[in-house]
Amino acid sequence: MIPVKDRIVKVTFNADVHASLQWNFRPQQTEIYVAPGETALAFYKAKNPTDKPVIGISTYNVVPFEAGQYFNKIQCFCFEEQRLNPQEEVDMPVFFFIDPEFAEDPKMAKVDVITLSYTFFEAKEGHTLPVPGFN
Amino acid sequence: MSTAMNFGTKSFQPRPPEKGSFPLDHFGECKAFKDKFMKCLRVKNFENALCRNESKEYLECRMERQLMAQESLEKLGFKDLMDEKSETKKNLEREENN
Repeated sequence: MIPVKDRIVKVTFNADVHASLQWNFRPQQTEIYVAPGETALAFYKAKNPTDKPVIGISTYNVVPFEAGQYFNKIQCFCFEEQRLNPQEEVDMPVFFFIDPEFAEDPKMAKVDVITLSYTFFEAKEGHTLPVPGFN
Repeated sequence: MSTAMNFGTKSFQPRPPEKGSFPLDHFGECKAFKDKFMKCLRVKNFENALCRNESKEYLECRMERQLMAQESLEKLGFKDLMDEKSETKKNLEREENN
């Protein structure tokens, strides 16, 4: 995979928690400039300020919608339950790249900014993540 | 032109990560490498290309501590850094032999 260096994209980061989850969750950088084809690392941070362990599970979203197909996560903290003990704070990495084909797509010609948003939900027994298409 | 009100026509389909989930670094074993990487980003105006050594070191830390499945650094997109390293090594050896 060869980075397309003449097509730098600004990736911005959002963090949300569902109302019932009492975590503090935020990105550790507001933006990163990457070339399509270049692997990149970014961090979020989560803290459980309560006095009970809490299990969260996250999903993500990419805008613009059409850019989402080019956004590849190699590894992250999403889709699996993550347990934070009382007062625990952890770094949460995302390791990703933008597919170099992004630079070949005429529909993406005006896309300079891609926003990655993660939302954490509280994981409860029998609760299924309200994510279409993901089982 | 698409508006925000196109209910149900298209929705974003999240995909699970290729290599699954990072285990949480509960003991902050790799925190120092993360701090080094974040510091690099701040100094280099958040240009990923300029902090790739630091990101490679962070991932190596995770792999050494079972916080990430072992993967060759080339496969993680660090081939150019590995090539650079072996080039430098070859040059040094050549110099030493002269």
